[in-house]
Amino acid sequence: MVHALEKIRRLLRPGGVLVDIHPPPEPSSIDVRIGGQLHPVGWLRDTDDYGDYEAADAALATIVARGLFTVERQGAFSFLTHVDTPAELRRYLAEEWENASIDDVTTARIEEWMSTSERDKEIILRESVRIARLAPIPKA
Amino acid sequence: MPVRTDPEDSEATALFDFAGDLAGKRVLEIGCGDGRLTWRYADRAARVVAIDPDADEIAIAQEDLPPSLARRDRVVFKAVSIQDFEPVEPVFDVVILSWAL
Repeated sequence: MVHALEKIRRLLRPGGVLVDIHPPPEPSSIDVRIGGQLHPVGWLRDTDDYGDYEAADAALATIVARGLFTVERQGAFSFLTHVDTPAELRRYLAEEWENASIDDVTTARIEEWMSTSERDKEIILRESVRIARLAPIPKA
Repeated sequence: MPVRTDPEDSEATALFDFAGDLAGKRVLEIGCGDGRLTWRYADRAARVVAIDPDADEIAIAQEDLPPSLARRDRVVFKAVSIQDFEPVEPVFDVVILSWAL
């Protein structure tokens, strides 16, 4: 990862910027929305990826410590995925997020809320994603 | 309804906030996948090179090229990792690491 960042530095013109977007090594929250109300039901975990995200943080820290980049700004945003049924959620996870897991309690809560007769309802996955703007530091 | 990924456009909004004005800029996106984010900013940039090592994802991105970006040479997708990527003109104003580190 550090090598990739070194290469990116070579590809950036002076005055250019690197924008890094990646999730933190934390579970995503799951809500069920029924009408105008959000009901927190639990978490989705993808522990296989957490090591990668921690390594990404470490690589960024390394290139900053080595004086190759400086962090100009950091922030976060919520990245939401909306699905209409528990079956659709299972399909989506199987196809797009194969290492993700949802514990039995959360699954039961989803099924319970989604079984209500209200028609305006959906399941919402919420990832808190980090974003940072870094600028290359010119060689002395 | 199908699965809706970021219909709020939060990712692109954050990108514009952090990357600044992309007008006239050459952008390299690393980890573009199927182009989900690429299409949300590409029309603002002068040129976009979007790479991902997954050839299947790149094929989807090329297939999904929106009509609004009919000038295909403005956005180029390449199935390659950053390690193996050797651009003809190795100068970019903005590099986006899209969930890729």
